[in-house]
Amino acid sequence: MRARDNPFSVDRVHAIRFRPLDITFDEILLRLRELNYRTAITGPDGSGKTTLLEDLQPILQRKGLKTRMVFVNDTSPFDAPTCRRLLSELNRDEILLLDGADLIRRAFWSLLKRHTITHASGLVITSHKPGLLPTLIECATSATLLTEIVTALRPEGPGISLDLLDTLYKRHNGNLRDCLRELYDLYAQDA
Amino acid sequence: MDKLNIVLYDDRTTFVPRETVRGRLEWALETNPRYLELSLFWYTSGKGTRDVGVVGTAKFDDPGAHGTKDFSFTLPDGPYSFSGKLISLIWAVELTCHPGSETVRREITVSPTGREIVLGEVASARNPLESILGGRK
Repeated sequence: MRARDNPFSVDRVHAIRFRPLDITFDEILLRLRELNYRTAITGPDGSGKTTLLEDLQPILQRKGLKTRMVFVNDTSPFDAPTCRRLLSELNRDEILLLDGADLIRRAFWSLLKRHTITHASGLVITSHKPGLLPTLIECATSATLLTEIVTALRPEGPGISLDLLDTLYKRHNGNLRDCLRELYDLYAQDA
Repeated sequence: MDKLNIVLYDDRTTFVPRETVRGRLEWALETNPRYLELSLFWYTSGKGTRDVGVVGTAKFDDPGAHGTKDFSFTLPDGPYSFSGKLISLIWAVELTCHPGSETVRREITVSPTGREIVLGEVASARNPLESILGGRK
């Protein structure tokens, strides 16, 4: 199968947005306001933290709030120059949306946390573990959620057995990103 | 309902590098857009991070709610359209309306052979050198 035809290609997977379990988007937004936009989205790898943070950006912008998104990861580390630049550029009317806060060195994190109290109108982060800021939502997955996403990605064609999805879900410890990557490989090899 | 359309001349969707892509834009919108933007670009699709290369853009200010406009872009030397199991490179012409989210895209193939390059074809040939040289001894 050509990569462009693979139903589990990254661009198709990215088109699937966050699906909250046991909570609505309105409830998430209400809690976000109650926490004065200083809060953390927590959860394990592949549970939708980054997807939720990305989804919050246009919602906040539609409400007239300014946002600034920063991604911290292996290829975009939060080093001293990055920290200095961010602190100097950040505006008081901006909510900083920071993905990967737990990858930031403790000294930089303390500086950023303190700085954003007075020099930003909010700080919403993602982190694997709770504790950096009050938790907005703890992202979680389920085998049912994986089935829903797989069904959305490939509405036509022969079905993927629930047993296979259940096996994948268990093998990857609930990491939906890794489950979808393995499905990509299965489809790439099959054709 | 808002409508955007890209019509490629002679319905051609296959081009060789350095060739000119010609076509016509058509739009019928409910309100006057501020501008329409046309882009020629390639992007990758597959297992890894998506890569994009914008090769040309054209902006049409105050185009009115209805209208048509001819366009042309000259293609560069590459990259060629190709597909493997891990990655595909896809060329497209895309028209976007601002403000708004209305977008239309037409995919094209850019290749010296007139067909998308399928990775793995050479490797699977009986004699790779022979397939490259076209049977010359």
